[in-house]
Amino acid sequence: MQRRSFLAGTAAAAGLATAGCGNLATSDPNTLTFMFRGGLDERAAYTEAIAEFERQNDVTVNVVVTDGDQYDTKLQAAILGQKTPDVFYFDSGKLKAYAINDVLQDMSPYLESAGTAVDELWPLAVDLYRFDGEVQGQGSAIYGLPKDIGPFSFGYNRTMFEEAGLALPDPELPYSWDEFTEICQELTQDRDGDGALDQWGTGLNVTWNLQALVWSNGGDWSDESVTTVTVDTPEFAEALQFFADLQNVHQVTPSIAESQTMDTYQRWMRGQIGFFPVAPWDLSTYRDLDFEWDLIPYPAGSTGSPATWIGSLGIGVSSASRNPEMATRLAAFLSADPGTQELLVDAGIQIPNIRSTALEWAADDSFMPENKAEMIRIVEDYGRPLPGYNTYNAEWYTEFFTNIQPVLDGDQTAAEYCAWVQPRMQTRLDAANRQEQIDRGEFR
Amino acid sequence: MSAVDAPPAGRRFGAGPARPVSGRGPAPARRTGTTSDLHRRERRWAAAFIAPVVLGFVLFAVLPFCFSLYAAFTNWNGLSAPTFTGLENFRLMMADDYFWQALWNTLFLMIGIPIGLSISLVLAMAMNRRMPGRSVFRVIYYLPVVTSLAAISILWQWAFNGDFGLINQGLALIGIDGPNWLQEASTSKPALVLMMVWKGLGFSMLLYLAALQSVPRSLYEAAELDGAGAWGTFRHITFPMLRPVTFFLVVTNIIGGSQVFTEVNIMTPNGGPEFSTATIVWYIWQKGFQNLQLGYATAMSLVLGLLVFVITLIQFRLNARNSFSVE
Repeated sequence: MQRRSFLAGTAAAAGLATAGCGNLATSDPNTLTFMFRGGLDERAAYTEAIAEFERQNDVTVNVVVTDGDQYDTKLQAAILGQKTPDVFYFDSGKLKAYAINDVLQDMSPYLESAGTAVDELWPLAVDLYRFDGEVQGQGSAIYGLPKDIGPFSFGYNRTMFEEAGLALPDPELPYSWDEFTEICQELTQDRDGDGALDQWGTGLNVTWNLQALVWSNGGDWSDESVTTVTVDTPEFAEALQFFADLQNVHQVTPSIAESQTMDTYQRWMRGQIGFFPVAPWDLSTYRDLDFEWDLIPYPAGSTGSPATWIGSLGIGVSSASRNPEMATRLAAFLSADPGTQELLVDAGIQIPNIRSTALEWAADDSFMPENKAEMIRIVEDYGRPLPGYNTYNAEWYTEFFTNIQPVLDGDQTAAEYCAWVQPRMQTRLDAANRQEQIDRGEFR
Repeated sequence: MSAVDAPPAGRRFGAGPARPVSGRGPAPARRTGTTSDLHRRERRWAAAFIAPVVLGFVLFAVLPFCFSLYAAFTNWNGLSAPTFTGLENFRLMMADDYFWQALWNTLFLMIGIPIGLSISLVLAMAMNRRMPGRSVFRVIYYLPVVTSLAAISILWQWAFNGDFGLINQGLALIGIDGPNWLQEASTSKPALVLMMVWKGLGFSMLLYLAALQSVPRSLYEAAELDGAGAWGTFRHITFPMLRPVTFFLVVTNIIGGSQVFTEVNIMTPNGGPEFSTATIVWYIWQKGFQNLQLGYATAMSLVLGLLVFVITLIQFRLNARNSFSVE
């Protein structure tokens, strides 16, 4: 090869490589870029849905899909490089930062002509993405549509109950904490008689299950205005202590240090755990369990009412999109199109975003869980977003869990820990609120 | 002095011809017009070939570094333009106990460097002997180097599982009830060190092996004639002759060790129990990409870069003071 042609080839290759770097945003208004994350089931469902959207709208959609743990970093890099995809998933906890800094487009002007009935979505799911410039959840501006709505429910192993000769739980009446502890103690057994326990009442994870206990006991992570951290209240400490005591005092979970591992999840799937959380994204996996299970409300603390959280991922449109109308149409299609929803629900990834479809889904008793209505109740009646969803960042909230291990190990009381961690959380909450004010131009 | 004694610093060791000193060798031939043209053309081509690398270095190293110098002194969330805040990020950093904890964790994980180098040297010396199946062993030890770090991290995460992990099963065979390695603050860092030593063995071993094979036989023969034992031979010939490789490995391992991220993020996703495994790069990533505090994260990167630079500089100085060459 001549030196000159070799050099020309090298330069061409470098040019192509450089051009390839820019595939996240396109200048062609008839080409949209959609960036998302998800497992194989989700990818397959979206591939089909997007092909249908392209056919219906005569546009091209470039799909960028990443693994879950790389998504936030890649999206952030795209935003930094001013290559924000036209349509992308985003964490509802980042809505304020994205809206204030003009990353997200207010979709409301385009929704009427989007061709999809967005008003049939769960109202709570849409409200998560409203923002009036100050308070998330308010106003007419909509900066995202729900990719899903995820009620974090509570399941029990019905087969285990029947084998233990215990009365099945009431699907509508929550256990009190004392009742729950007693049942767990009865379920915790050495079934094969080898001297070691091989069946436990429950196996909870403090990061994802403490909310249900705290809220049902009248506590919370912050006050309503999200300016004061309130984890140092007696009701909060009582809930955390109850959580820790399940492991350390009542010994109804596999072991002290298991709460942050996958082990309890696997034990649940092996039929060794009586009560375990069930989220919509677990449904496809739980279809293959070789025992019967169902949903009930979480055990309730002093308020007597059950509580749990609802997760949601948003589908947003970039404020830099060349075709915000078509981008909004795509977001609405993915969020609210009945055909797309059917694909995702059939894949066992989520419950339907469309309320009427969800009610039909819940009424279908041909597949487990029988009490799917519990998920509907969570969405309609008592579920709430995770703390930190409506602050500028969630650092103050995650701080609560960073040093919690001594409480879980029984080396520190919940009250001591909550009193110690409150000022640390408050500092971070103040910093987040201050950053929000700075970015809004109100404070320097 | 015995033939196996280490030479004083700076002294040339061996009987080879002295290298010509610049300016004292024979004068270059006078260039004719033709050779001058040729040189110019060659230079142009050379510049053309070097240009992409230089351009890449400027684009992806120099310019980002210059920008980060500025960003470290700003309040920047990565979504909008940075605003200058002076030394505020550095003031916050000094008061941030997680920054110090992450720095300490990073330094602690570097304990694995001398351990790993020692083991890999022993392994290299073993592999350097004529023994049956040594090629197979070399491949086995090198396999972790070419295996995905993510895959290795997941594998070790399972190995360290408190209940049914391979490590605790092994310990149970000798009557030890193993801890829940990655879930306890006291054992999470040692667990990571163990994994990182295992992962790095093959690479260090291979370099040591290559260096061992380039040690002149004549030195060992001279030592043998002088009656040096195995330890003396190792101490006064093998080890000094491996100094350049050791220096290279220590420098690259420290730089690599200060950038540990993937294995920590996979094996202990939230920085480990009580922040016990959060490394400085993990914390930078957490601040910059999870909490939208890129200005602060950049300031931490700058401090990390300075620390690595200073440590490397000290190593170069120490190495220069103790260096010698054989010709």
